[in-house]
Amino acid sequence: MLMNLFSSLQKNTEKIKEFLTSSDVAFTSVKVGKAKGLLIFIKDVVDKNTIGDLVLRPAEKFKGKPTKSNLLTIFLSPELKTVSDFDTALEEVLSGNAVLMVNGIDIAVSFEVKKFNDRAVTEPPTSVAIKGPREGFVESITVNVSLIRRRIKSTALQFEQLSVGKHSKTTVALCYMKGFADKKLVNKLKRRIEAIDIDAIIDSSYVSKFVSEHKKSLFKQIGNTEKPDVLVSRIIEGRVAIIVDGSPIVLTVPYLLIEDFQSPGDYYASPYSATTARIIRILSVTLSVLLPAVFVAAELFHLQLIPLSFLLTIVNSIQGIPLSPSYEMFFTLMIFEILNEASVRMPKYVGMVVSIVGGLVLGETAVNAGIISPPALMIIALSGICLYTVPELEQIFSFLRFLMLIIAGSLGGYGIIVAFAILLTYLVSFESYGAPLLAPFSPLVKNDLKDGFYRSFLKETSSLPFSLNKRRANKRTAKENFI
Amino acid sequence: MKKHRILWIIILFAFATVLFFSNDFGLIDVEKEAIITAVAIDNEDGKYSVTVQIAVPEATSTSAQNTKTQITGKGDTIGGAIKNTGDVSGWFPQLAFCNLIIIGNSLCSTDIIKVLDFFAKTLRVQDSAQIVLADNSARELLEKTTPLDNISSFAIQKILFKNPGFDTDVATNDIKTFCAGYYDLSGSSFMPIVKVLDFNAKQENSNGSSSQGQQGSNGQQSSSDGSSGGGSEDKGKNFFDASTTALFLKGIKVGELNEAQTHAFNFLWRNVKGTTLSVNYSGANEIERYLLKVLRCNTKTKLKADDKGIKMKVEVDIYCKIADHNSGDHNANLSNNKPLPNDLIEQTENILKNNFNDLFKVSKQTNCDFLQIRQRLYRFGHKYYERYQKDCLDLVKPEISVRISGQK
Amino acid sequence: MKTYQLKTRQICFFFLAFTVVNKLFTLPSLTTSLAKEDLWISSLINLTLDFLTIFALLIVCKRQNLSFLELLEKSFGKMGAKIVIFLYALYFLLKAYMPINEQKSFVELALYINLTTDIYFLPFFALAFFLALKPLKTIGRISDIVWLFTVIGLTLLITLSISNTDFYAVLPIGASGVKKIFSASYVGANWYGEGAYFLFFIGNFKFGKKDGAKILSCYAVGVFIVTAFMIIFYGVFTSIAFRQSFALTEIAKYTTVINNIGRFDYVGILMLLFSNVFALSIPVFFSAKCLDYVFNFNKKWIAPLIVTAILLLTTMYLNEFYATLQKVFSLYLSAFFLIMANVLPLITLFFSRKEKKNEKA
Repeated sequence: MLMNLFSSLQKNTEKIKEFLTSSDVAFTSVKVGKAKGLLIFIKDVVDKNTIGDLVLRPAEKFKGKPTKSNLLTIFLSPELKTVSDFDTALEEVLSGNAVLMVNGIDIAVSFEVKKFNDRAVTEPPTSVAIKGPREGFVESITVNVSLIRRRIKSTALQFEQLSVGKHSKTTVALCYMKGFADKKLVNKLKRRIEAIDIDAIIDSSYVSKFVSEHKKSLFKQIGNTEKPDVLVSRIIEGRVAIIVDGSPIVLTVPYLLIEDFQSPGDYYASPYSATTARIIRILSVTLSVLLPAVFVAAELFHLQLIPLSFLLTIVNSIQGIPLSPSYEMFFTLMIFEILNEASVRMPKYVGMVVSIVGGLVLGETAVNAGIISPPALMIIALSGICLYTVPELEQIFSFLRFLMLIIAGSLGGYGIIVAFAILLTYLVSFESYGAPLLAPFSPLVKNDLKDGFYRSFLKETSSLPFSLNKRRANKRTAKENFI
Repeated sequence: MKKHRILWIIILFAFATVLFFSNDFGLIDVEKEAIITAVAIDNEDGKYSVTVQIAVPEATSTSAQNTKTQITGKGDTIGGAIKNTGDVSGWFPQLAFCNLIIIGNSLCSTDIIKVLDFFAKTLRVQDSAQIVLADNSARELLEKTTPLDNISSFAIQKILFKNPGFDTDVATNDIKTFCAGYYDLSGSSFMPIVKVLDFNAKQENSNGSSSQGQQGSNGQQSSSDGSSGGGSEDKGKNFFDASTTALFLKGIKVGELNEAQTHAFNFLWRNVKGTTLSVNYSGANEIERYLLKVLRCNTKTKLKADDKGIKMKVEVDIYCKIADHNSGDHNANLSNNKPLPNDLIEQTENILKNNFNDLFKVSKQTNCDFLQIRQRLYRFGHKYYERYQKDCLDLVKPEISVRISGQK
Repeated sequence: MKTYQLKTRQICFFFLAFTVVNKLFTLPSLTTSLAKEDLWISSLINLTLDFLTIFALLIVCKRQNLSFLELLEKSFGKMGAKIVIFLYALYFLLKAYMPINEQKSFVELALYINLTTDIYFLPFFALAFFLALKPLKTIGRISDIVWLFTVIGLTLLITLSISNTDFYAVLPIGASGVKKIFSASYVGANWYGEGAYFLFFIGNFKFGKKDGAKILSCYAVGVFIVTAFMIIFYGVFTSIAFRQSFALTEIAKYTTVINNIGRFDYVGILMLLFSNVFALSIPVFFSAKCLDYVFNFNKKWIAPLIVTAILLLTTMYLNEFYATLQKVFSLYLSAFFLIMANVLPLITLFFSRKEKKNEKA
C-alpha cells in the first residue's frame, strides 16, 4: 500500500480503522500540548505502565505546539521511531508497539512498549547437562539475543534482522562474528531467507527447510541447538546462527555430521572421559543401525558367522516361533516404534499404562506366548537404547535401521555392505554451504581431528576449525586448502 | 532422471519389500538345517557310509540342553552320501560347524584323499576341521556315550584340544595339513587314532606300571597325565584315547607311532611349553619318579645335504622344573625350584634321544616321510634334490642333540 | 586459478586402500598354479612395472600441470584424444569384468551357503552406477575413509595367519623357472595396472615438492603388503595353495583362538570386502568418464548406465562361459592390459617434455 500519513488526524484515524478492525486494538485520544493525538496499540501485548510513563505523562506535561521537528523530543522513551506511511504504522502496531499520531503532523511516532508473556529461561528438555550451564533458549528473540550478548562481548558480534512471512512477519535474526564467518555465506543466507515466500513462519524448522541446499535429502544440512553456550561456541568457530522469533531452537550453518556427536558436556569434563563418551556414542549409533540387520542376515544367510554355542542358543529360542527371523525382527521393530511414538504424544498421566503395556504385555507376554523370541526382543531393545545416545540424529538413524533391516532380510550381508558403501558415497559428496558433511574425516582435515572422535586438551583446540571456512584454511597454510 | 527420482525410489523400495516378504526365493530356514558337528565315514560294501552327528537344540521349560542325533547315508561319493542323509532326514545338511571328521579303519587300505578331497575342496566345510582315525568303525565311535559330554564328537574334540598348542600327547591334524602333506613332495601325513576305552580297563591301565614308553637303561618314561578323559566312577561309560598316531603314505596307512613316539613327534613340530615329562629312574635306594614341567623348549631342525649324504640335525633345548617328585624325602621345599639331579637330566635326555631316533627308524621302515625330509631337501638342499630324493629316507643320518636344563 | 579435484594425501590413501585389496581373492591361487612357491616373485614383477609407470608419471607431474586429457588434446587434437580415451574406456570395462565375476563367486561361495539366486549381487551394480555419476573428487574423499578399513582388515587377517605360516615354504627361490614366473605375471596382468588410474590423476592434484616421494612410498607399502600376503598365503597352504580359490576366507582360520571364540576373522574379511566393492567400482567409474568424454552425452547418467548395464548383463548371463572367458582374458587380453597400463602412459613422458619446451619457448 505504502500510502503516506496525512496531516489531518481525522483522516489518519479513518484510514487506519479500515485495517485495524480487531476488537483488541485500542484507540486512545491523547493531548500532546496544544494538539490532539491518537495512540494506537494492541491491548494485551503492550506494557501499559510503560505507555503511561514514557508516552502519556510527557505528552501531558508538554505545553507547546508539537511539530515535526520537536515531536521526538517530547517523549522519554529510549526507543522511538518515526513512521511516515500507513504500512509501517500497521506493522508497528501489529508487532506490539504503540503508535502515536498527532493532528497537523504527517508523521507518527512508534514506541517500543511490547510486553509478550515469555517462558522463563530453563534447561532445555532435549539437552540435559550434568556439568556446565543450564540455560536454554526461549521463544522470545529478544531474550535469546540477550543470552548470546551476555556471552560474547565483542564488537565482532553482528546481528542482522529480517522479517519473514507474509502474514506472520516473523523476525529472523542472522548472528555471526565478523571476520570469523564467511561473508559470502552470510550474504547467501540472507538472500535465501529474504526470498522465502510463505504465509507464516511458525518455527525455525520452516526456515531450515527453505535454507537447506538439498531439499529432498534425508540427512540434516542445518545444525540446531537449544543451548546458548553451544551456540556461542559454534558462532566463534565461524558458523552463522539463525534465530527465529517464536522458536527456542536456533539454527546454525554450515553443519558437520560430527557436531551432533559432540556433546556440550565433553568440553566441561576431562578429555579422557569426553573421548570415551564420544567413542561410545559412535559405536552405539553403529550398533543401533546395524545390529538388527546383521543379526537377521546372519540367521538367514550366514550361519557360519555365529559361533556354534550361540547358534544353538538362538535356535533353541526360536523353536516354535511362527515368523521367520526377518519378519519377527521387523514386527518387533514396528512395535518398538509404535511405543516410541505413543510415549511422545501421550498425556503424562497415562504414561504408566504404556510402560506396563509395552514392557510386560507386549514384551514378556509375547515371548512367553512364542510370538517373538528373546534374542529378537533383546536386540531391538539394545538397538533402541543405543539410538538415543545421539538424540539429534534419532530420526535419521531410525529410518536407516529399517532400511538396513529390509536389505539384510532380502539380500543378506553383502547387501548391507553395498548399502553402507552407497551411503558412504552419498555422504562424502554431500556438502552444505561449502562444508563437506563428513569433514574432518572426509576430506581429512588434520587440524580439525583434535575435536573429532577424540577431544584434545582445550589449549590444542584453540585454533579455529578449517572445515567450515575454506578461505581461513587457505590463509593459515597453503597446504590445508581441502578438497 | 531427477524428475523420476521419486518413482525410481518407490520401485526400488517395492522390489526390496517384495524380496523381504517373499521368502527370498527358496532360502532355507535355520530351523530346517541340520547343524552337523561331526562326520564319520566307513566303507560298507564298496560304498561310502557316512554318519553325521547333528546337534539338536531342545528347549525345555527350565533350561535349554542340546542333544544329538545321528543319521547315516550311503553313496558312491562322499557328497552323495551326505546328500543322502539330508534326503533321509528332511533336513538340509549344514556343514559349516563340522569340526571333526572320523575315518573308519575300513578305509585305511584305500587312498584316503578320495574321502578328504570333498571336505578340502568345498567351502561349505571348514578345512580346519580335525581328522582322526577310528580304531574300528567310525560310526561305532560316534555312537559311544561318554560322561564328558552328551555329544560324543564334542567329547572327542575335548581330547584333541585339551591344551591346544601345549600338549604333546596327541598329534592333532586338520584337513588342510593332511592334504598339504599328501600333495607335497613327501606325500605323507598323519592323524591321531582314537580308541575307545572302558572305564574299568582304564583303571587297570593306570594302576599298572604305565610302561608305554621306551625302556631306558636306568628307568622308563611314561606318558604324562594321560590322554584319556575321565575321572568318573560310572561303569560302562566310555572314554577316548588318542595317544597313538597313524602314518599315511599317499593316503594309505603304512604304520603307527606309539605313545612315546607321538610324544617325541610333537616336540619336533609343536609349541610344547607347559607340557610335562614323567621320568622314573633308579635313585640311591629306590626308583624315583619325577614329573618335570617344560617351561621353555627350543627345537631346531636343520637339514644339510652335501656330496657325502644327508644329515638332519635336531637340537632340542628344554628348560624345565620339577612339578612333582614321589620320593621318601619329606622336605617341604623339594619340588620348588630344586635343581635337577644330574642323573635325572641324563636319563631324560637319553630317553628323548632314543624316542627321536625311533621316529627316523619308523620313517625308514614305513617309507613314510612324515618328518618332511624330502620337502626339506627340496628347500634347503635343492642342489642335491634330484640326486637324493628317491632314497633320502634311507640316506638321512639323524644327529639328535637333547639338552635338558633346570634351576641352577 | 586451477581448481584441483584431488590431494596428494588422497592419492596415497587410494593406493593404500585399493591397490592391495583386489589382489587378495583369486589372484594368489591363480599365480600359484603357474609359479608355485615363486608366486611372490611374479606378483613383484607386476607391481614393479606399475611402480615404474607411476614413477614416470610423477616426472610428468613435476614438469607440467596439465591433465592427461589436456595433454592428449594438445598433442593429437580432439579427435586423436577421443580415440585414445575410447581405448581406455574399453580397457577399464574389460579390466572390471574378471574381478567383478571373481567377487560374485567369492560372495556366493564364501558368504551365502544356501541362496539359490544371483539377486544378492545386484546392489553392487547400483553402487558402481552411483559412483560413476560422481566427480573425481569423490574417489579422493572415499579413499580418506576406506584406507582404514583395508589396513585394519589386513592387520587382523595377517596377525591371525602369521602363527600358521611356514615362511620356508617359498624356498628355494626361483626354482619354478623364469618361464613359469613370467607367465604367471602375464596371466595376472588383469589385476594390476594402477598406473592407468594414476594417469587420470595427473593434472588433477597440486604437485608439491615431496609429493612424488610420498606417493611412491605409499605405493611401495602396498607392494610390500601384497608380496607379504603372497608369501603368507603360500606359507599357510604350501602344496595345496593352488586349490584355495578364495584365499581371504581361508587364510586366518587355523589359529587356535578361532576354535575357542568362533570365526571373528570374518570381521577382517568383511572389512576387506567393503574396501573391495569400491576397488571394483573404480574401473567402472573411469570407463564411464572416458565414454562420456568420447561421446559427450547430454545427460551425465547415460555413460554410467551403459557401462554398468554391459557389466551386469555379462556377469549375470555369461556365467556358463566363465571358464572360456577366463582363458581369453588371461591368455590374449593380458597383453592389452599391459600395454594400456604400463606402455601407453609413457607417451605422456614424451608429450610433457614437448609441453615443457613449448612453455620455455
